Amino acid sequence: MALLGSTALQLALVGCCLTLLLGGWFLFTRDLRFYAGAQRGLLVSASLILMASVVLIHQLMVSNFDLEYVARHTSTATPAMYKFAGLWAGMEGSLLLWLMILGMYVVLVSILHRRVNRSLMPVVNMVLAVVMLFFLIVTIFFENPFTPLPAGTRIQLAGGMGLNPLLQHPAMLIHPPMLYLGYVGFVVPFAFAIAALVTRRLDATWIRTTRRWTLVPWLFLGTGIILGGRWAYVELGWGGYWAWDPVENASFLPWLTGTAYLHSVIIQEKKNMLRLWNIVLIMATFILTIFGTYLTRSGILSSVHAFAATDLGVWFLGFVLFITLACVILVLLRRDVLASQNRLESFTSRESGFLFNNMIFVALALAVLWGTMFPILSEAVRGTKITVGSPYFNRITPPMGLFLLLMLGVGPLLAWRRTSGGTLKRNFSLPVAVAVVTLSGAMLLGIRRIYPLITIGLVAFVFMGIATEVVRGIRARQRSKGESALLAFRNMVDKNRSRYGGYIVHLGMLFMFAGFAGKAFTVEEDLTLAPGETAYLKGYAFTLERHTLEARPNHQALIIDLAVTRGDKLLTVLRPEKRSYTTPQGDQPNTEVALYSRPLEDLYALVGGVDADTGTAVLKIMINPLVQMVWIGGIIMIIGTLVAIWPSRTERQLNERLA
Amino acid sequence: MQSQRKKFVILIMSVVLVVFGWITIGTGAEEVPYLSIAELRAFEGTKEYDRFRLGGLVAPGSIVYSGDRLSVNFVMSQGAQRLPVYFAGLTPDLFKDEAEVIIEGRYAGGVLEADNLMTKCASRYEVELTASEGAAKPTY
Repeated sequence: MALLGSTALQLALVGCCLTLLLGGWFLFTRDLRFYAGAQRGLLVSASLILMASVVLIHQLMVSNFDLEYVARHTSTATPAMYKFAGLWAGMEGSLLLWLMILGMYVVLVSILHRRVNRSLMPVVNMVLAVVMLFFLIVTIFFENPFTPLPAGTRIQLAGGMGLNPLLQHPAMLIHPPMLYLGYVGFVVPFAFAIAALVTRRLDATWIRTTRRWTLVPWLFLGTGIILGGRWAYVELGWGGYWAWDPVENASFLPWLTGTAYLHSVIIQEKKNMLRLWNIVLIMATFILTIFGTYLTRSGILSSVHAFAATDLGVWFLGFVLFITLACVILVLLRRDVLASQNRLESFTSRESGFLFNNMIFVALALAVLWGTMFPILSEAVRGTKITVGSPYFNRITPPMGLFLLLMLGVGPLLAWRRTSGGTLKRNFSLPVAVAVVTLSGAMLLGIRRIYPLITIGLVAFVFMGIATEVVRGIRARQRSKGESALLAFRNMVDKNRSRYGGYIVHLGMLFMFAGFAGKAFTVEEDLTLAPGETAYLKGYAFTLERHTLEARPNHQALIIDLAVTRGDKLLTVLRPEKRSYTTPQGDQPNTEVALYSRPLEDLYALVGGVDADTGTAVLKIMINPLVQMVWIGGIIMIIGTLVAIWPSRTERQLNERLA
Repeated sequence: MQSQRKKFVILIMSVVLVVFGWITIGTGAEEVPYLSIAELRAFEGTKEYDRFRLGGLVAPGSIVYSGDRLSVNFVMSQGAQRLPVYFAGLTPDLFKDEAEVIIEGRYAGGVLEADNLMTKCASRYEVELTASEGAAKPTY
């Protein structure tokens, strides 16, 4: 079986090379038979990769410990769903997962574009083949998941190694594949951008074609990032969801440039401006996905996400440089067709709103990249490795984020081309008034910190901005078409899904920003409690009731019962655990967080240990305000993106007619 | 039209400058050198940095918890070099003798007073570890 897997990968490699040869030949000769051959070669390669992935999943599920990869990442005791997750538990498997997802995108692109975009597709296929080829080479020659276990180690590993207990969490089943679906997916709009450049078709066609191809990976990447935050919050026990770790930053960077791109393409569609800028943004987004892989896989940055450092780093860096160089050359060769035909006319226009939004997104990406790369840069320049870490990011990013939040409210209230003074006044007076009232209310409630105050004011401003936009749209339809409010709303959204889907995403962002602001009011205390003793924190009373020991299938658990009361009312009993997993390497301790979410704040507790004689427990208790808003905001963003992706009624009818 | 364009260029340039300045200021204020123990000793007495970051192993047998277990003293080793460390807070799950740790904090009187203690796992899981204040995640 394992032989089947590695043979399939090798054949896929051959298929990729054939695709490139035939595709290149087609570009010279324009003989369509070669194009058809290239197209088939790519599809066959993709199918072979999917087959290899199925083989590896099967080997993981049946626990074939003859394969080193299976033995290292799963054990007979590993629950079935985590055996499946073993696919991305290590380097070799995650490379295959990358290929597998690329294969799926390739198949989808081939099917959905078999009759459209004839002029772009040959180059699109070749770009996809180049990326596939690179990952196949790395997987086959350096990190092959189908490598058999070396002979001597067989007995020692008879039961397999098992999956790290930290990873045995449901979020681990979806978070990594989501991130990968996002990372890999950006290759599709990138391939179309390259194709548009090569074929000199730089009007908005490629952008309209790739709108969904961009939204889909953007959605997956965003969802993956949020899930990762959720996992860190409930599993790691430091009470936060984002630590500005290099690995987190590596996933955030393409999200930032991708988000900028999603906004700037609107200007090209409407006004035929920013051609060069859009091309550069999507190139940067794709390059950042590969560069992120380089950062996290090469071991050049110390991260608590210790990946097995490999010498693959140099290959990824080489690939990044190759793509970057190719992109620069291509852009230079096509600079004549990249010039925009229109210019910005006024500061107070929708276009300039988008422009400033874009500048801040890119500046934010650069700031994050700078902070992430700083240890390497400082060592190269000054000889001392200097880290900046989360204090740097927490200082730098809030003003930029708040400026983006401001643009979120201002942008949609501006008209295209130019906004007259009267319109400005009409559009802005209500949101500004509401913001001022909210801000005063927050100050009366005793909030004095500057960033949270600004956030509160801006959230109110943006919310009113979106609300007035929607209400105005509904009223206009009611007047012109005589529809009921509900029907008008439905039709309005259906007529312009990207716009209203975008507003829903913005609404989700508001919730998230509220959650970020809540972080400033976190209360945290490390303490010891004797049995029966009570600690008071922010109006809550925490009483240590008892501790119990429990033996479970693969670990021992020490469980603390911590009763939480407010006034006379018992709210909940928090049960943080200290677990000890039995592994072939000895016992591995693991702290299990206890979490109780109230509408406006989370009570968060973990236990450091219990004195065996006295029963005194060492605890960490945190009260985290508004964290729920982050998850709610995330869900709203997902819904909004789905609204934008979903085909409108006219589109559906058109498709039915074509079918 | 031409003057409008000029205004835009000026505005964009000023945004770029502000962002650039902002990042520079932020970087300068938050620099923490990542040093070896020998290098750290060389910085003693100078006022150039007030926080340091070091990585090493927990010297076996050196861990001494305070009575309430809310703080810990231990010795971090790098080869033959030894550095006494004090850390207030709950220690991460994988903090034990010979664990690989990264510490960050102030250096005074020969002791590093860490406010951040992270552990790395040397196990064969290829997965890392936990932090008292930073995140930890797996290999994907």
